[in-house]
Amino acid sequence: MAKTGQRPLSPHLSIWRWGPHMTVSILHRIAGDGMAIVGGIGLIWWLFAAASGPDAYATFMAVASSWVGYVVLIGLTWAFFEHLFSGLRHLVLDTGAGYELNTNKMWATVIPFAAVFVTAAIWAYIFVRAM
Amino acid sequence: MGGGTRVGRVRGLGSAKHGVQHWISQRVTAFGNLILVLWLIASLIYLPGLDYGAVTGWLAQPLVAVPMMLMLISIFYHLKLGLQVLIEDYLHEEGTKLFALLLLNFYAIGGAALGIFSIAKIAFTGAAG
Repeated sequence: MAKTGQRPLSPHLSIWRWGPHMTVSILHRIAGDGMAIVGGIGLIWWLFAAASGPDAYATFMAVASSWVGYVVLIGLTWAFFEHLFSGLRHLVLDTGAGYELNTNKMWATVIPFAAVFVTAAIWAYIFVRAM
Repeated sequence: MGGGTRVGRVRGLGSAKHGVQHWISQRVTAFGNLILVLWLIASLIYLPGLDYGAVTGWLAQPLVAVPMMLMLISIFYHLKLGLQVLIEDYLHEEGTKLFALLLLNFYAIGGAALGIFSIAKIAFTGAAG
């Protein structure tokens, strides 16, 4: 601990700027925990309604096909693919790969766009087919 | 070798030694969710309709009911682990944290049980409305 010389004095935890790896990290948590609550309850409601009979199922479908229902369903689709792609990134990071600055930044930047793209493609297909 | 001080050990401080199991289970259920939820999304898109008859008729098939039940186990196990981390990260007051973890266990196990029972009812009693 004696030689200080030109070396940094401390890690400077308070000096940092926002980067794509932070964005993809918090999006992973938001998407995952959002699905855990909204998606979990929605999925059980759907199955419970189907098991309860035509009237209960009609109530579920009325809510699911309202504009609020579509916002939730499109949001859940986005959350699923965001969490999926980001989760696959974590599996790669678990192996110790992907920590090179440029590689890390590249995947952290690509993943949110990929999730939005796949969500848009799926819902475009659904809406075009329904027309 | 660490392990903390004797007083620390008596007070139950330090690792509960369940971290690796949590980590592995999270990844195993992640793969389960990857396969089964992609299958659910594809199935819902390709079903001829999402009306009561079409959905219950589809759910009643053995090769739909069983993967759906497995999917519920995988999803609710995974979301239990994920929400547990959220609670442990953000709730620092012991009582609130304990209560939230208790509610989480009720939600995860209760939700999965209700979903599995619903599928079983549709599969065993038929889709006759």
